[in-house]
Amino acid sequence: MIRLKAGLFADLDGTPEGLRRALQNAIELEHATIPPYLYALYSIKPGANLEVAGVIASIVMQEMLHMALDCNILNAIDGKPRLDYPEFVPKYPGPLPGGVESELIVPLAPLAKQLVKDVFMVIEEPEDPLHFPVIKDLLAAGKPPQTIGQFYAGIIEQLKEQSAKGNIFTGDPRRQLTTGFRPLQAIHVHDLDSAIAAIDLIVEQGEGTKTSPLDPEHQPAHYYRFAEIYYGKKLIPNPEIKPGAPEYVYGGHTIEFDPAGVWPVVTNPNRDTYPRGSMARNLNDTFNYTYTSLLKSMELLFNGQPDRLGPAIGLMESMKEQALTMMSTTMATEQTAGPTFEYQPVNP
Amino acid sequence: MSYLNSLRFNFTGQFQAAPSTVNNDPLHFDNRTFKPSYQQPGAGAQNGWWNPTGDAVWRLIGCKVSGVWMGNAPAPVSDPIHGYLVADSDRSVSAKLVDLDPEQQSVSEIWGMQVRICTPDGTNLMRSRYATAPFNDIWDRAPGGGDLIAGAAYQSVLDDIEWGDIGNSPFLQALRAASAESRKLSIKFNVDGYDMTPTSPNFTRGRIIGSIGPSAAGEPNHFVIGRHFTTTDRGGGNFFVPSGNINFCPAVVDAGAGKIYLDLGNALPTTVSGGPIKPLGTLTLGYMSGAAAIDSIDYQTPDWYESTAGVVEAPAGRKLTADELKGIASNPLTLTLTDAQGNNAGSAGEPQDGLYARADQFVYRLSPGDEAEVRVFATTFGQPYAGARVVSIFDASQLQPQSPLGPAPAVATPESAVEFPARIVADGHGLARLAIRASDPGNPRHYIDGQVYGVRPILEASLAYGTGDSYNPWDFVSLLVFNTFQPDEPITWFGSLQPIFQQYANLYPVMKKFLDMADYDSVCANAKLLQLAFGLVLEDPNSMPITRDLSPAKRKAILRWLNEPGEDGKPRKGTPPPEAALAATPEPAPVERPDDGPVRGGKASAMSRRLMFQRRR
Repeated sequence: MIRLKAGLFADLDGTPEGLRRALQNAIELEHATIPPYLYALYSIKPGANLEVAGVIASIVMQEMLHMALDCNILNAIDGKPRLDYPEFVPKYPGPLPGGVESELIVPLAPLAKQLVKDVFMVIEEPEDPLHFPVIKDLLAAGKPPQTIGQFYAGIIEQLKEQSAKGNIFTGDPRRQLTTGFRPLQAIHVHDLDSAIAAIDLIVEQGEGTKTSPLDPEHQPAHYYRFAEIYYGKKLIPNPEIKPGAPEYVYGGHTIEFDPAGVWPVVTNPNRDTYPRGSMARNLNDTFNYTYTSLLKSMELLFNGQPDRLGPAIGLMESMKEQALTMMSTTMATEQTAGPTFEYQPVNP
Repeated sequence: MSYLNSLRFNFTGQFQAAPSTVNNDPLHFDNRTFKPSYQQPGAGAQNGWWNPTGDAVWRLIGCKVSGVWMGNAPAPVSDPIHGYLVADSDRSVSAKLVDLDPEQQSVSEIWGMQVRICTPDGTNLMRSRYATAPFNDIWDRAPGGGDLIAGAAYQSVLDDIEWGDIGNSPFLQALRAASAESRKLSIKFNVDGYDMTPTSPNFTRGRIIGSIGPSAAGEPNHFVIGRHFTTTDRGGGNFFVPSGNINFCPAVVDAGAGKIYLDLGNALPTTVSGGPIKPLGTLTLGYMSGAAAIDSIDYQTPDWYESTAGVVEAPAGRKLTADELKGIASNPLTLTLTDAQGNNAGSAGEPQDGLYARADQFVYRLSPGDEAEVRVFATTFGQPYAGARVVSIFDASQLQPQSPLGPAPAVATPESAVEFPARIVADGHGLARLAIRASDPGNPRHYIDGQVYGVRPILEASLAYGTGDSYNPWDFVSLLVFNTFQPDEPITWFGSLQPIFQQYANLYPVMKKFLDMADYDSVCANAKLLQLAFGLVLEDPNSMPITRDLSPAKRKAILRWLNEPGEDGKPRKGTPPPEAALAATPEPAPVERPDDGPVRGGKASAMSRRLMFQRRR
């Protein structure tokens, strides 16, 4: 379970500006998971670990959806999502934006079971339902809430509270992204119900519900899908129907993970890891330029130019191709290179 | 006006061009005989040459403003433009570099490029769209072999211009004002020093040095209306060896300023690939066959090329005299090289009567029924040649219908599929319009769609002088005329589309990183993305296929197939052809021929296969 800093919750102060800031933080937080997941995903060699790759790819897609949903909610309440500025990109290794630094340091690292368990499952871990507190009570008791789910619960509370005083959904509906992901077509954020539906989907896809590991689309939530990789077994309904027996077990078909099917990619590189003038440096510079172009493209996408989805997808595909090339490119050491996901608005 | 005027700036940096090399051989297009080895790196046509997984990207990398000129002098150093960059798009994927055809590889076009002027932190001062254009005037610029010795030039316009906050830069304000009417800028850049060593950090990169200036309304987009120095091919090279050491180049006489603007950027050889300009002695600009000297050109100063892009304002330190202006108005300009011993070391000059005619756009893709209206501009001593008679002929001499693997499909046949008037007459502005009409060539090349043709417009008046004088072999119109295409109904994978997708899968192994184009299920799984990419205009850098060689008729069929799924919700599969039918298809026996090895490179190899050489043999 990732614990968020209390400061992140301070924005939930009852003001529209605070709510918008909180949603902007949520966008940053959702985005911050994507580079580490992609790094692990692209470290898989062509044709190897296919099922594992499929699981991670599907989770990345949902993280992108979550970012889009957050942007739509922020637009619906007349905010302006921002993605194109240097601080938008977290430093790896480091805490997730708003995360408590002593608790979880997120690296850029090639795929390994331990990475899945120690990092990815921690990011997505739901709070134990038995101890799941009611946000209002917590706030009343003066105890800061701490999980991503609680953070979103706090946003919902604010949406409700501020809606009760008057319509806050005054954003231009043309700024909504309603293509690209199926749920975006269904959840067009324009009122309290649709905003809550969007947040519920984000939380349930990430953590599951309080009573089930499945999300509304009947897929295991991210935490459980990463756990499938770690345990090497699909999560299935428990075939033993006994009182008190767990409802689900990791007892389905084996999910093979072959460590030899992962490139020996460098862990936690930054641009200075690669000597100036080296092939890895050149490839990394171009990758970072492409990545920054994607952030620029998405800022336009979520600020009134939804037709920029096509160019944004093109940039994502280009990043993939470049990352795969880098990860199969040997550096001077025995390791291969990996993209550093740094903000870089020119190709030097 | 164009970049070749007193208001311009230069930029210097690297380009990246990473085409797939699997498609370098026309016989690799034949699905029936395609071998897995063609996708492997390795020398020659039995392999896939040096970059089989190329993705066709074209990028500007690290391009810095390296010279700024206004009012016949360097712009003040206080102008912040001196610290700016020239960059490509920061909102979309990179541009693409695309051959017209495996049998016409000498007009590779850049598609979908944005050109920006920005600060080092990425703040935009200007954003624009590069109008698609190919290189021209490729030549043996450096000693040695392979593509790395080549030099070539691109000229086009930048349109869709958005200016940023240029309040701090008097130069950019002047540039914006000078281009206010046309809303276009003129751009020209020279490329050389291409690195084709896969283990090199600069693999697929080269040197780019260029100029940007205003563009006047009504002037051609892809060449300069002015004075054109010509030369002839000495022969024996990979591309073109100028007999007088100086390659084709343009100049503009600015009578008001008393200056000649001369662009030597793609005209002077280098000591090594991408290296300094080779010292060839004193270079003198003059007229009357060199008898009257105007100025000697100081091309050997360190950084001369980088800081000027080879653009010279002559005479330096003074204006052209009235006599000189009168003299050059009716006499060919000349460039003469003289070595330390006073011997002639080379030359180039305008043809007799200063005659010049060229097609502005000179690469076309046509479907049956399409008509290209080619704008041919005729000048004499840089002035519009009103009423010029332009004759046009089929000329396939620069096309490349050969393969080391065996007989390659013939080009430029049937001629009946391309019609154009034998003679056209220029209007009062020297502009002649050549209408080229395409009809169905009837699939003469079987496994390569359509047919390629060359059509060369020539000034009738210049014919009297023979071809040795005023003849630039690269100045002709290249046409790719697509076949008609009738898909099965309803359209199915096996009924119509499998061979098309198979060919792309064969020729562009980079696609394996995304999907297997040869596999029905993989294509279906990516149907949404393919719908998006195949639905884009060619100018979009995301347009598929990257090669821009899919006929509109086939594109329409693919989009319909993707958009109109069958009952199972997937694009229709149809039934595979019976094995017997496949077996009955005759396989041409590959003929092993001595290969030209890795050193030549893609372009050099293609150029060695030009018909002009075949006929000489």
